[in-house]
Amino acid sequence: MARDKIYLEEEFPSPLLQLWHNFRHSPVVMIGFGCFIFLCVLAIFSPIISPYSPINNHLDHLLLPPAWHEDGDVSFLLGTDNLGRDMLSRLMHGASLTFGLSFVVVIISLVVGVFIGSLSALTKGLKSSFLNHFLDVILSIPSLLLAIVIVAILGPGLNNTLWAIVMVLIPQFIHITRNAVEEEFQKDYVLASRLDGASSIRILSYSIFPNIIEKLISQATLAQSAAILDIATLGFLGLGAPIPMPEWGAMLANGIDLFYIAPWTVYLPGLAILFSVVATNLVGEGMRHAIKQRKVN
Amino acid sequence: MLIFTLRRLSLFVFTLLLLTLLSFSLSFLFPGDQVTNISGQLNASPEHLEMVAAQYGKHESIFIQYWRYLTHLFQGDFGISMASQLPISEEVLNHLPATIELSSVALLIAMLVGIPIGFIAAIHHRKVTDNIILSFAMIGYSIPIFWLGLLAILIFSIQLGWLPSAGQISLVYEIEQRTGFQFFDILLSDSPYKWQAFQNASAHILLPACVVALAPATIFIRLARTAMLNVLETHYIKAAMAKGLNYRQIIFRHGIRNSLVGVIRDVGLQFANLVTLAMVTEVIFSWPGIGSWLIESIYQRDYTAIQGGLLALSSFIFIVHILTDFIYASLNPLAREVHHGSR
Amino acid sequence: MTKFTSYINVLLITVMVSSMLIGCDSGSETSLSENSIIYCSEGSPETFNPQLITSGVTVDATSKQLYNQLITFNAIDNAVSPSLAKSWHVTRDNKRITFYLRKGVNFHHTQYFSPTRELNADDVLFSFNRILDTKHAFHQVSGGKYPFFQSVGFSNLIDSIEKINDYTVRFNLKRADSSFLANLATDFSVILSKEYAEQLIKSNQPELIDNYPIGTGPFKLKEYRTGSFIRFVPHEQYWDEKTTLSQLLFDITPSNTGRLTKMLAGECDIIAYPIAQEKIRQVKNLSLDQVTAFNIGYLGFNTTRFPFNNKLVRKAVAHAINKQAILDTVYFGDAEGESAKTIIPPSSWAYDNSIKEIEYSVAKARELLEQAGVEKGFTIDLWAMPVQRAYNPDAVTMAKLIQADLNQIGIKVNIISYKWQEFLRRLALGEHHAVLLGWSADHPDPDNFFTPLLSCSSAITGTNRTFWCNKAFDQIIQQALITTDIQERKTLYRQALNILYQELPLFPIAHSKRFQARTNKIKGKLLNSFGGIDFNGVTKN
Repeated sequence: MARDKIYLEEEFPSPLLQLWHNFRHSPVVMIGFGCFIFLCVLAIFSPIISPYSPINNHLDHLLLPPAWHEDGDVSFLLGTDNLGRDMLSRLMHGASLTFGLSFVVVIISLVVGVFIGSLSALTKGLKSSFLNHFLDVILSIPSLLLAIVIVAILGPGLNNTLWAIVMVLIPQFIHITRNAVEEEFQKDYVLASRLDGASSIRILSYSIFPNIIEKLISQATLAQSAAILDIATLGFLGLGAPIPMPEWGAMLANGIDLFYIAPWTVYLPGLAILFSVVATNLVGEGMRHAIKQRKVN
Repeated sequence: MLIFTLRRLSLFVFTLLLLTLLSFSLSFLFPGDQVTNISGQLNASPEHLEMVAAQYGKHESIFIQYWRYLTHLFQGDFGISMASQLPISEEVLNHLPATIELSSVALLIAMLVGIPIGFIAAIHHRKVTDNIILSFAMIGYSIPIFWLGLLAILIFSIQLGWLPSAGQISLVYEIEQRTGFQFFDILLSDSPYKWQAFQNASAHILLPACVVALAPATIFIRLARTAMLNVLETHYIKAAMAKGLNYRQIIFRHGIRNSLVGVIRDVGLQFANLVTLAMVTEVIFSWPGIGSWLIESIYQRDYTAIQGGLLALSSFIFIVHILTDFIYASLNPLAREVHHGSR
Repeated sequence: MTKFTSYINVLLITVMVSSMLIGCDSGSETSLSENSIIYCSEGSPETFNPQLITSGVTVDATSKQLYNQLITFNAIDNAVSPSLAKSWHVTRDNKRITFYLRKGVNFHHTQYFSPTRELNADDVLFSFNRILDTKHAFHQVSGGKYPFFQSVGFSNLIDSIEKINDYTVRFNLKRADSSFLANLATDFSVILSKEYAEQLIKSNQPELIDNYPIGTGPFKLKEYRTGSFIRFVPHEQYWDEKTTLSQLLFDITPSNTGRLTKMLAGECDIIAYPIAQEKIRQVKNLSLDQVTAFNIGYLGFNTTRFPFNNKLVRKAVAHAINKQAILDTVYFGDAEGESAKTIIPPSSWAYDNSIKEIEYSVAKARELLEQAGVEKGFTIDLWAMPVQRAYNPDAVTMAKLIQADLNQIGIKVNIISYKWQEFLRRLALGEHHAVLLGWSADHPDPDNFFTPLLSCSSAITGTNRTFWCNKAFDQIIQQALITTDIQERKTLYRQALNILYQELPLFPIAHSKRFQARTNKIKGKLLNSFGGIDFNGVTKN
């Protein structure tokens, strides 16, 4: 319906809307997007919809296999772990920890990174050159390694992991914002509004941001898939979320000792991580593809 | 080329200084008493602590402290590990070669597998083959490495029994440590079981190296695919086509050569990524490399070890970076004329 | 075209070469691994001298492999039997014990030491004087702590050790001690080489004595890489039956799953403390060994620190813990352990049937906590040992269960774990509130549970991690030691157990069996009810 209206009014859709039109053409990408939305819903509502508490021990149902297995029990759909905790509930809560927190982390670093990035795009000279060099050095260090370093300084723990990943992601956003803003500033429409007497801040917020937001979102999806993997990896290494938390990486680490007697405690969290990363990457991929399409058109 | 070399060297020195500065500031950021951390002993006597403090100029200004720190580094003194009581430099020398071996083999695998597949995908652009390759690349890129490692062990070591699951070499082979690089040590040793040991070591490295290689390989697929597509759109390819060369000839004579140059530029960047993946993989395959040692040090809160290990590892990554830059520059003259700060 | 084919060729050759390298295990490969045993152990030894430690992992790596004791426990009925001493004589008042040494016993011949003489009385004197004589040149080397000997009160017991002649040694005791012979037969009372010690003094590096060991045992140390592996080779001039192995390797693998994986992938011949035992039973060429061990897994309270300096809080915690759940989860029901009512196992003769189990009751726990009058909602640090022991196969999981249990009575629990050596060191400093730990007996005498675990003297040396020191209890167990009449000792130990029940310095959890998994190629007896693993007489075919 909404689309009809736009065409009737003969108005140019905003870049974001154009993006959406291109975006929805690929069925694979739409499936990815659906999964992404599903994960978001799960992350928000997991405390309400999960059948059990993630830390509640059901001591008479230890190491129950998933329901489709002949020894399984339907009331524990995905089985239980060695302390009798329901895997399904733990995976659902894990969605809010691993996936949800990665989302939050990306948003925070997006905001901070875009702020610093656009400020730095407005400055010139030595300061800017130093920043550029510094960013180059930082960006050449892999994000996980940097996160491990920061966790080593702050000490293990989920909060510290999140701060570490925020700090790792910020330079990436600074970099991309800075480049995109500088690129836009070269364009004629910016010159036009500058001639109209608009201030830099005004140009930034009214002319430039709507035009670079898609790039930022595309970078954000990349950042999120990296953030999910980093949170899970740190959790797996025992540097992130502490043991009883149903964070997917930590769950997997907990499952390792049960690998040979209860393989589902390892398969399921791994699949969950894979699923969420693939969904995020599909969205990002679709986004980049759509941007390219729009440029071509 | 001279100017290029000088510029790279100055960047190298600048970055190394920056890294030592970061490493130096770590000693202030770490919890616990600095001097105790450096001394490597939790219950060191006050006299000993006083001696260490004097050595590192802890009573003097921060610049002098940094200077002392640098002189210690140049003498190869990274401090003493709290956990093992060995000098950190010795620990690093013991562990770094294993990581270098693993990452080099993995890089080789990733390039040998990734680049040709990327080319194939580019040649079949927008066809079924391309789509299948891209979907696999997407999954390979998204798979958490520790999970992949576990699955690989389960399938290849336990169910099929093809490859060993842990360590660098079976312990029954007694190889004297000379260079620290397992393969060189084996070749240098005078053991009558040399070739068996070599086979055994190769079998041990294969599985972890493949696990490390998967994600970089998918990136190489994408890089190679994009590079090839770009090359295929250039005018000289069109000219070649107009000359009447057939598609194969174009790909093999011009396409591969020119797109490879573009891929090589990113090898350095990928190597850094690969070393991080190797760190996690080392933990799973009990590979005695610097990654598993560093992570163990974090568990132990062995701050001097973390500090020294990070410095060594990041300098190593950076050196590889510079080296690939040189290789790229020698392959592609255009790259030598890069302008200031616009890499 | 040519470029492509050459590329394909290179690829093919690489594949062929690598498959050649991996695929064809030639015949001579077997000759090397055929006579080598790889034992995947659970941790690194702290030292190579068992006199200095009480930890099982070090005992496993050293005692029976590198050294011999004067006397030993025989495998059949755990009676003391000859080893380096071919016979001995005890005077009627139990105060003088004379040992007659075996002749023709050789020390290890290694890269760092070549012995010029055989074992004699000087070596025995050296080994024990190092422990007893605080002014001895080697006493302070490696820290001067001999926890086992300090905990059994060796220095107060032994008056003097005399050399009668080159092959006769006499121990003069200050008082009769019914567990003295048993103590000499433990894994800790090893005999070192005096000649080696003199050589080290000359070269001014006495600290090497505990890191580059020389003993008389069936194996000698070839190489040790910290945290990675230990390589032993046979001692060619061993006095007793020589091993048929050409190498013995300890592959140090702290991860439970790591060890099992290595075993399933055929990289280990024997693994310590196997998990997933059902899985091992399913695999055809693997088998499980088990011995009923004299041990106890417990929750120790640090009785010198708040909140566990209060007896009522200790009791409240004991009532709040669901012991059955722990047994089911960590010990897999009865398969691996039985619930412990007190510190000694029911198979010991000193066991008292009338001791009651502390019942699981949250209500009672709350009530006791109320009585104790401590502020609500405090947090404790619960230390869970990072290694697996028979008495506690998975301390971290156990800690998690206790965490959930204590949460119900409003106590928050932080689970803390360090690497084993660091863990023990910090534990001895008393940094913990409570700790999950255990004890394996070194010999069949019941005193081996009481004195090392809970006496005042061991609170100082550090094997008593509760730091609990009760004068009445101490007196009773000392009394029990000088008594030789078994009925009388029984009554005394009964009183001691009763005090423990009242005071509860530690909460007993389980007695367990010790397990080991091996491939069927390995033949021979590895495990004893007491002490460490023994590779002498083990063969591989």
